[in-house]
Amino acid sequence: METPSETSLHDHRVLVGNRGEIAIRIMQACCKLGIPFTAIYTPEDRESAHVRFALDHGKEHALYRVSSYHDANELMAVADISGCTSVHPGYGFFAEDFRFARRVTKRDRKMIFLGPSWKIIRELGDKINTKRLARSLGVPTVPGSDRPIYDEMEAENIAEDVFDFQLQQGIEHPLVLIKASAGGGGMGIEEVDDIDQFRSVYRRIRNYAARQFKDEGVLIEQRVTDFNHLEVQIIGDRSGKNPVHFGTRNCSIQSTGRQKRLEVAPGFDPTVNEYSFDSDKVLESIVQYSLTMAREVGYDSVGTWEWIVTRKGDPFLMEVNTRIQVENGVSARIARIKGRDDVDLIAEQIRTGLGEPLGYTQEDITFDGVALEYRLIAEAPDNNFTPWVGTIDRLRWKEHPWLSVYTQVPKAAYSIPTEFDPNLALAIVWAPNLNELKERGLTFLNELVLQGHNAAGEPMENNIAYLKEKTGQILKF
Amino acid sequence: MDNLFLKRIQSLSDRLSYIQDIFAGKHADSVSLLQQKLDEFTDKATHDSLEKPYEELVSLEDLFKYVEARLDASITPMDKVRIVRHPQRICLKDILENVYDNFTEVGGQDEHSLDPSMLIARAVIIRRRGKKRYIQSVMVIGQEKGHGAEFRNGGSVKPWGNAKARQFMRVAETEGIPIHTYIFTPGSYPIEDYPGAAQQIARNIYCMAGLRVPVISVISEGGSGGAEAIGLADRRLMLSDGYYSVISPEGAAAIEGHCRGGERPSQELVEKCAMNLKITAEDNLRFGYIDKIIQEPPLGARSYHFDFFRQLRQEVIRATDEVILSTKLSPFKNIALSRRNKPDVNLDEMYLRWGLSSSAKDRLLKKRQNKFLKLSKQAAVDRRPMLTKAIHAMDEIITTPWMQFKYEFYRKHQRKIHAFLEEAENEWDVFKSWLRKPFGKGGTGTGKNKEDKSSELTTLSSWTGEHKHNKWNYLSPRYKIDQAVTCPNAAVYGCPDLWGPDLFAEFAGVCSNCGYHFPMEPEWYVRNVFDKGSVMEFNSEIESGNPLEYPGFGDSIKAAQEKTGCKSGCMTFEARIDNTKLVVAMLMGTFRGGSFGAAEGYKFVEAAQRASKNRYPFLAYVHGTAGIRIQEGTNGVIQMPRCTIAVRRYIENGGLYMVLYDTNSFAGPVASFLGCSPYQFAVRSSNIGFAGPGVIKSTTGMDVPPKYHRCYRALTRGHIQGVWDRRQIRNNLIQALQTIGGRNLYYR
Amino acid sequence: MLNISDLLEQIKQTPYREIVVSTPHTGVVNFASIKSGDAVHGPEGQWKERPGTKLATLTRERNPKPIFAPEKGVIDTVHMEYENTFVECGCPLVTIKHHLTREEVESIILKQALYLFRAPERAKYYFTPEIAAKLRASDPGSVVIHDGQELFIMSRMKRELPLYYSGPEGVIYATYFKTNENVDTDAPLIGVCPQEELPNIKEVIMRVQTEWQENA
Repeated sequence: METPSETSLHDHRVLVGNRGEIAIRIMQACCKLGIPFTAIYTPEDRESAHVRFALDHGKEHALYRVSSYHDANELMAVADISGCTSVHPGYGFFAEDFRFARRVTKRDRKMIFLGPSWKIIRELGDKINTKRLARSLGVPTVPGSDRPIYDEMEAENIAEDVFDFQLQQGIEHPLVLIKASAGGGGMGIEEVDDIDQFRSVYRRIRNYAARQFKDEGVLIEQRVTDFNHLEVQIIGDRSGKNPVHFGTRNCSIQSTGRQKRLEVAPGFDPTVNEYSFDSDKVLESIVQYSLTMAREVGYDSVGTWEWIVTRKGDPFLMEVNTRIQVENGVSARIARIKGRDDVDLIAEQIRTGLGEPLGYTQEDITFDGVALEYRLIAEAPDNNFTPWVGTIDRLRWKEHPWLSVYTQVPKAAYSIPTEFDPNLALAIVWAPNLNELKERGLTFLNELVLQGHNAAGEPMENNIAYLKEKTGQILKF
Repeated sequence: MDNLFLKRIQSLSDRLSYIQDIFAGKHADSVSLLQQKLDEFTDKATHDSLEKPYEELVSLEDLFKYVEARLDASITPMDKVRIVRHPQRICLKDILENVYDNFTEVGGQDEHSLDPSMLIARAVIIRRRGKKRYIQSVMVIGQEKGHGAEFRNGGSVKPWGNAKARQFMRVAETEGIPIHTYIFTPGSYPIEDYPGAAQQIARNIYCMAGLRVPVISVISEGGSGGAEAIGLADRRLMLSDGYYSVISPEGAAAIEGHCRGGERPSQELVEKCAMNLKITAEDNLRFGYIDKIIQEPPLGARSYHFDFFRQLRQEVIRATDEVILSTKLSPFKNIALSRRNKPDVNLDEMYLRWGLSSSAKDRLLKKRQNKFLKLSKQAAVDRRPMLTKAIHAMDEIITTPWMQFKYEFYRKHQRKIHAFLEEAENEWDVFKSWLRKPFGKGGTGTGKNKEDKSSELTTLSSWTGEHKHNKWNYLSPRYKIDQAVTCPNAAVYGCPDLWGPDLFAEFAGVCSNCGYHFPMEPEWYVRNVFDKGSVMEFNSEIESGNPLEYPGFGDSIKAAQEKTGCKSGCMTFEARIDNTKLVVAMLMGTFRGGSFGAAEGYKFVEAAQRASKNRYPFLAYVHGTAGIRIQEGTNGVIQMPRCTIAVRRYIENGGLYMVLYDTNSFAGPVASFLGCSPYQFAVRSSNIGFAGPGVIKSTTGMDVPPKYHRCYRALTRGHIQGVWDRRQIRNNLIQALQTIGGRNLYYR
Repeated sequence: MLNISDLLEQIKQTPYREIVVSTPHTGVVNFASIKSGDAVHGPEGQWKERPGTKLATLTRERNPKPIFAPEKGVIDTVHMEYENTFVECGCPLVTIKHHLTREEVESIILKQALYLFRAPERAKYYFTPEIAAKLRASDPGSVVIHDGQELFIMSRMKRELPLYYSGPEGVIYATYFKTNENVDTDAPLIGVCPQEELPNIKEVIMRVQTEWQENA
């Protein structure tokens, strides 16, 4: 690979290994940086605005039809034929797949993976590893085991201790979580509220884990209830030496399936809301803890440290997302680099990923105002957030200087592909303070036109009313 | 003309067509001469123009006799193959009627039989001493070709037919009567229906390796596995026109000529293969795999050769007597033996009781086993230095008694000491806790103070142990190739193409979508299954050779040795797994398809003996085997009973013998020393069976379903005990050793 | 009652189906030695274990993958312009003119005769595990279902929902969807035959078998 000093950004070509809204934003960032790109789409997605965008703004080799976004071979084949030098995975799909990143960088025709180095993805992708790394640095984590437990006696002792620990903390109904250490995605997890049940649940999980993951190890942790979900946005360049943060976000408003629906930056706002703890101090501590870890691993891309903060103000590190996130725009919106307000974290990720140094330090980053992000989704919040299938006839909004909307929904009628999440658009609203933010948010939602119909001719379901209702509650614990 | 006259003419005509058949177009001049003479004679006979009909007939018969004798001298191995397959060839029913004095069929009647190709009868031989008559019973077991009767299936026995044979061997053992087996089979019927061709043959061989009655076998057509299913005997006699071979010459030619999909090899090639495979009675006598040849009449015995049946009767009686005598410690033994070998002796008039005492049975068994274990060593190339061999032999003499002392005496008492100490310790603990009682809970486990507890839950714990490091010690070299690989199940399970470097390194050759196991190199198992650095190979200097001097095969062996860096297809080593020592014999599919010959058998037997001597568990890891190495002929086939005997001895000494199949395991080895293990497991995606789909199609005409040999079918059938994921082999082995071997692993 | 003769006549007017063989994914195409007018065959053997005629090789990431003819027929067009070039997914390579087989005609006519339960939404469909096991284990046309029975799992947008059968009680006679492939709204999923009408269906099949000539 050529060294960055000999080559400029323009010599690169980025493969946009994703679809929809994030594909558009990656392409926009490429345009802004003057880097050519190649996009992909599947037959299902042919109506998506990201296809149109690629055709309109890309030049040669701008667009290829592939069988699946999940097939790494398709991405590699397209990258080779179009001469890409790097791959941006977006979020989802291959974003946190260390094997994919490894393949990109280790194959005969090497490319740059626009994300952290594959070793970092692997290290931080393993929850046990992350927890142990955090503990080794004095970063607080959820009380419980930090290694897989294979012995029943030991498991029971730990569970007893976790119960006792919670009672000491004044928690009335202590809960213990037992999960298969090799599991993920909510599989093989159960909670116990009574130590007498522990043994049978433990055995069930252990047997499940042995069958499913060929590994009997389980983790035993406190089940934290009553908490807020916070995030710290981090970015570092390829030197891995001087990561900076872009503040915090609060992502506590989620669907029943634990999917985020509304995100706000910064993470708390003590000027309007009252908290039972010193919120500034909590935010500062999670930012510093996150940076400590990022420095320790030599973090060299954008990433998010996920935290939960209890009602008492105790933060626990949950996991690290080694990718650009959907809600990156909400942090960018309130951040200023050397005073400029056109921060684009995706462009920063691409630029630094291709080898440019960050070019600024933490002192150069300031924050101004508050911002929120709405996720507009075709779903029925009243009916367990069931996705709605059908055709979008109209998606219109009124432009405001404080508003930016990202969507793959084209102006023409658009039938929602059934292969993916039914996300339609992201709307980011900015305001100097929280009260104005709520007003502007509601203004946007009230002005929004979103119409559609399904096969039976029924009008579309969407989450606008849900978002309106939740707008009043933002940043309240 | 009377009927007898016509019958004699008919008989000559039969003899002529027989000659035509067995020589398949050869010796055309002799045939046409006979034809012409016979035609002339018949023509005259029908017109009644014969002057001296009987004299002329006799002279014609003499001519036939003369020509037959002349042709007999030029008979080729392939001619013998045609002789034993000819419908006019003697069959077992003929033998029962003419060799024995009376018999009752017990294995079914004609087509009303579990398997009409396997005939079983209780037969008697009546012998006299002076005026007293003695009736001696035997169990006669053998394949019945029935002069070409279709329902006999040409003597090709189905798995349940072999099971029937085993059942009656057991009956004979209970009754204490000798077994006479007659081998008239081109090979077993290669189907996998329960109990499975391979599995049943393995059971039969294992059973015969320990039968506590004399077994005499007579070989006419000895087709590989089918022959071994009833062929492990104290005395093996062979008819002079019989053949005993690892594979039919046609089968060998099909492989040699790279024939595919029903294509037939040329007749010339078949003849050549028959020659090269060294399948005749003389060849096998020279190798030592049979004990005696019974001379047949010119061009082979047929039903009307009553002299031959008389001779056969004498031979089987003599063989049985000899086996009986060889177990005796009597001082008259040698006199009795030599008396029986005098010419013109009539064994019918010499009585010997065929029952054996318990200690004689022990000697019988030991003799039979030793006899087989000694066979075929000359067929392998032993390049161990003289000194090593000498040390090996010395070691045997010195350490065996020590090991016996160690395990049989010391161990037993050691356990008692342990038990005593354990009990004492328990008592002491109880006493200690009683002492502490007055001081409250202070000293016991619940005494951890609160800070300790919460810090344990929130700070870094120490984590050691195997689970932390989950990396492979060995990666397939294929991981270096930047290439996508398609899973064979892609069409069914929609598996995306895998990236070679992922698949052959981290994934251990397992499809991440469907779990299909791609074959891996033998080294992968050696390095990843056993404790790191614990593998110690032995007998690597025993090399595969070319015992039959099969044309061109020496070079093939050399090429395989260069390609794999191994000297034979079987690697034997000692290794540790989770600190338990064991002996492993690994059959490598990479060395000539994992075919099994004399060198492999030599090493396998030595490995079993080593495991036995050291009291280690014995694992046969079958990376892959295509069967017995055909180019070694019966030197290969004989490994089936040999290795089975070695395994049986090991198991009966209390050893734990496990088999693990991987990739493809077929034919002879599965049908003997592998298939006889009580604990057989398979690695996922492996195939296990007796014959491959091509062979099944060509021998039975049956199309086999695509997944016919999958290990899961073998599991369903009860052949194997479990199917293991490759990545779990180590853990599963550890568990198997702990649960099957128990705490004391070896020695029950 | 169904007029089988009319239907058969109708099909006999155009007894062909055009099959477009296109690339399953991206890659470089190399055609086998085929040309327009060549006869090709589909998978053969008792278990369809032998693949059809090889039409082309598609190479992606150094992994050559053969593309076989899915059915018997005659090659209509070969898109030779793609020879040795990189193509996208879904690129047409070969068109095959396929004479309808007896089974296909049966299926066309049965679609008229059976009660068709259709997909309410575009999604992937699966039988519930119990039904799938029953279908695997028993003879075709012997699994009985009734109105309101939980029959399918409908999967779209990463969510799985149960789908209940509605329609007359009967046996599942035909399955029209493939696992892992999307089914469009209103496309038939299964064909159901009330048990008392089974003889009629048998008759339909008999008629087709006697009246439909497959071209040799």
